[in-house]
Amino acid sequence: MYSWRKLREKLFTCLIIALSVLAIAPVLHIILTVFANGFAVIAKAGTSFFTDLPPTPLSKEVGGIAPSIAGTLLMTAISLPIAVTLGLFAAILTAEFPSNPLSLAVDAIAKSLASIPTIAVSMIVYTLVVVPMKSFSALAGAVALAVIALPYTYTYFSTALRSVPSVYREAAFAIAMSRWGAVVRVLIPVARKALTTGVLMTVARVMGETAALLFTAGRFRTGVSFSPTAPVDAIPLLIFDYILSPYTVWHQVAWGATALLLLAYLMVFLATKLIVKEVRL
Amino acid sequence: MVGTIVFSKRDKLFFLSLLPLSISLLAVLVVSVTTIALRSLDAFQHFGLALFASSIWNPEREVYGLLAPVIGSLTTSAIALLTALILSIPLAITIAEYLQGALKSVVSSIVELMGGMPTIVYAVWASQYLVPFLKQFAMEPLHSALPFIPLFSCRPVTGFSVFAAGVAIGISIVPYVTTLILEAYQSIPVMYREACYGIGATRYESIKILLSLARPAIIAALVLGFARALGETTIAVTTVGNSMYLSSCLFAPGYTVSALIASQFANAYLYQYAETVLYSSILVVVLIAIALSFYGSTTIVRWRLRVVV
Amino acid sequence: MFAVEMNNVSVYIGDRQILKEVTLRIPYNTVFVIMGPSGSGKTTLLRVVNRLIDLVEGARVEGFVKVLNFDALRSDPYELRKYIGMVFQVPNPFPHLTIYENVAVAAKINGVAKSKRELDEVVKWALEKAMLWDEVKDRLYDYPHQLSGGQRQRLCLARALAMKPRLLLLDEPTANIDPVNARKLEEAIVSLKDEVTVVMVTHSPHQAARVADYVAVLYDGRVVEQGPAQQLFLRPSTEVAQKLLRGEI
Repeated sequence: MYSWRKLREKLFTCLIIALSVLAIAPVLHIILTVFANGFAVIAKAGTSFFTDLPPTPLSKEVGGIAPSIAGTLLMTAISLPIAVTLGLFAAILTAEFPSNPLSLAVDAIAKSLASIPTIAVSMIVYTLVVVPMKSFSALAGAVALAVIALPYTYTYFSTALRSVPSVYREAAFAIAMSRWGAVVRVLIPVARKALTTGVLMTVARVMGETAALLFTAGRFRTGVSFSPTAPVDAIPLLIFDYILSPYTVWHQVAWGATALLLLAYLMVFLATKLIVKEVRL
Repeated sequence: MVGTIVFSKRDKLFFLSLLPLSISLLAVLVVSVTTIALRSLDAFQHFGLALFASSIWNPEREVYGLLAPVIGSLTTSAIALLTALILSIPLAITIAEYLQGALKSVVSSIVELMGGMPTIVYAVWASQYLVPFLKQFAMEPLHSALPFIPLFSCRPVTGFSVFAAGVAIGISIVPYVTTLILEAYQSIPVMYREACYGIGATRYESIKILLSLARPAIIAALVLGFARALGETTIAVTTVGNSMYLSSCLFAPGYTVSALIASQFANAYLYQYAETVLYSSILVVVLIAIALSFYGSTTIVRWRLRVVV
Repeated sequence: MFAVEMNNVSVYIGDRQILKEVTLRIPYNTVFVIMGPSGSGKTTLLRVVNRLIDLVEGARVEGFVKVLNFDALRSDPYELRKYIGMVFQVPNPFPHLTIYENVAVAAKINGVAKSKRELDEVVKWALEKAMLWDEVKDRLYDYPHQLSGGQRQRLCLARALAMKPRLLLLDEPTANIDPVNARKLEEAIVSLKDEVTVVMVTHSPHQAARVADYVAVLYDGRVVEQGPAQQLFLRPSTEVAQKLLRGEI
C-alpha cells in the first residue's frame, strides 16, 4: 500500500517534468537553428548584409536587407510614440480613477482590442489609410503597428502605475501637489523602471510583427526609403515573403534576417531584465 | 456631514484632460469592428450564408465558399489547444511546485522569452524543421498504424497540413497559457495549501486538490489560448499547406481564415466580391475571438474574487 | 511512551531565534495545551510537530523531536503528516468542494474509506464528533461559504478527524469565532481525547482551564513551566505563569 503511493508520486513527478522539458525544448531548438543557419549566411555576406539590396531570385550572392532594416526602424519610430502616448494617458486614467466605470470599460476594451487578429488590423488600415492614399506607405504600416501596440502599452503601463505604493501618492497630496503634478513628479518617476520595461517590450512586439504589415507597408525592396508616405519594407515582411518562395538564395536571406531579428529581440529582452535588476528596493 | 465623496473641480478638470486620449482605445475598437462589419456587408447581402456551405476560391468566376478555411481555423485552434493543454499545465506546475531559486527564475524567464518571440521566427522554424519532423515521427506512423480512422486516413505527402499548423501554433501559445495558469495557481492563498498538509496530503495529492481549486481559471486560460490561436497568421500560412480542399483527414493540406486572407487579399481588389468575402471571413473570426476573450477574462476575474480574496 | 517528545529544540527564522531549547513531553490521549502571550512562539512550536515549519523561508530547526515514533526532523514530512491532522486559526475549508466533499477528501486520500458507503459513514462520524452534523445533515452538498465562521471551523475539525489521525494539532482554533461556536468547538475537542492526542495552542488561560489535561507555558520562546493542568492552575510555580493566569501578560 505504502510503496504504491510512493511509486505513484514518483511517476507523477517524472511525467510532469518530462512534459515540462518538452514544453521548453522547442524554444531552445529554435534559437539554436536560427542562429546556426542565420549566422552562416550573415558571415558569408559580411557587413554588406546590412547595406545591400536583396538579391534577385537566381543570384549567387546573398546581398543584403538594407531596405527592410530601414523600413522597420522607420515604422517603429513612427508607431511607438503614438502607442506610448495613448497608452500612457489611458493608463493614468485607470490608475487615478480605478473605480470609475470608464476605467473599467477601458480595461475591458483593451482586452478586446488585444484579441483582434493582427491580420484584421492590416485589412482595416488598408481600407482606411492605404486606399484613400492610393498607395502603400510607411505611415499606413506604422498606424497598423500602433493599433496593435496600443493594448500592450496600456496593459504594461497600467500595471506599472498601479504597482506604485499608495504612500507615495498620499505624500504628494500632503504637500499640496496638483493631480497632474503628482502624476508627473511622483507617479511616473517612481514607476519609471516598469514603464521603461513596458516600452521595450512594446518595441520587441512591434519590430517582429508581420501580419499587420502585409497589406499596409508595401514591400518596397528595390531601394532604401525613409519617406513616411512611400511604400517601405520591413524585416518580418521580407522573411515572410522569402521563406514562402521556392528560391534557395531567398531562403538564405530569410534565415539571415530571422537571425538578425531574433538577436535584436534577445537584446531587448535582456535589456528589460537588466533594468528590473536595478529595482532592488 | 456624511455623504458621497464629491469630486472637486480640479479633479474634474484632471479627469477631463485625460479623457480625449484615453477614449482613443474605445475609438480604435469601434472603428475596427465597424469597418470589418461594413466591408463584409456586401458579401452577406450577395451570397448570404451559402458563403459558408462550400469550399471554393474562384474569384474570376466570383464563386466563393469559405467552409474549408473556417473549419480549418477551428480545427487548427483545437489542436493548438490540445497541445497547450498537454504542455502548459505540467510546465506551470513544475515552475510553481518543483523549482526554486535561480532555476525557477531562469525557467520563468525562458517562458517569458518564448512568449514575446515574434511569431515569424516560430513560422520559419516550424516550416523548415517542425513540419518534416512531425511528418516523419507523428503523421506517417499514425497513418500506417491507424488508417481506418478518418482523421489519419490520408498519406502525408509534404507534411504541410492542418495537423502541423495546429501543433506549431500550439507550441507558440504555450508560454501565454502557461503564464495565465501559473499566475492563477500562485495566487491561491497559502491557507489552502496548509489545509492540504493539515489533512496529510502528499505533494501529489495537494497539487491535485489545488488544481481542482484553480480549474475555472485553467479553463479560462485555455479558452483565451484558443482565441489567440484563431487569429494566428504567419505560422498558419507557412505550415497549413494553403489548399481549399476540405477533408476529414488531419494530415492533408488545408486552410485557415487568416492564411486565406494572407494569400488572397493582396489581389482581391481586382475582383468584385473577393475583398468583401475575405472581410466576412475575418468578421466571423473576430467575433468569436472577442467573445471568447471576454468570457475568458471575466471568468478569471470572477474566480479571483471568489478564491483569492 | 509519549506522543510527542521535544528535546532542546531551537527554531531560527533568518537571524531571529523563535524557540529556545524547548523540552516537552506530550502524553498519549490527552488534551495538551500550549499557552503563552502573543509572539511567544506557540504557533512555531506547533508547526515543528508536523513539519509545516518547512514552508517558512529561512527556517532552521535544531534539536530532537520524536512524534509518534517518527524522528520528526529527519523523516519524510509527507509520511509524518499522514498521521497528524491540523486545524488552523483562520478556517480554511476548500471553497470549491461541498461540505460533504471537504470531509470526504481527507478520508479518501488517506485510505480511510473507499466505497461510497464507507465514505458516508466516515463523513457522518466526523461531523458528529465535530458537533456539526445536526446543523448540516440536510445540506451536505452546500458549499462552505454558506456556513458561518464558527460552522466553517467545525467543518475544518471534521475534515481533520476524517483522516483518523493519531495526533490532532489545533492552532488557536477559536481565535476568529464567536463565543457560542467557540464553546461548541471546545466541547468537541474534549470529547476527542479517547481516540486522538490533542495538542492545542491558545492565548486564553480561561480556555486552557476549560479543556486542558496538561499545560505548557511558553514565554519568549522558552517553556517556562509544564505539568498537569489542575496543578498548574491552582499553584503556578513561576512568576510568568502567575502573571499569565492573572491576565497581566
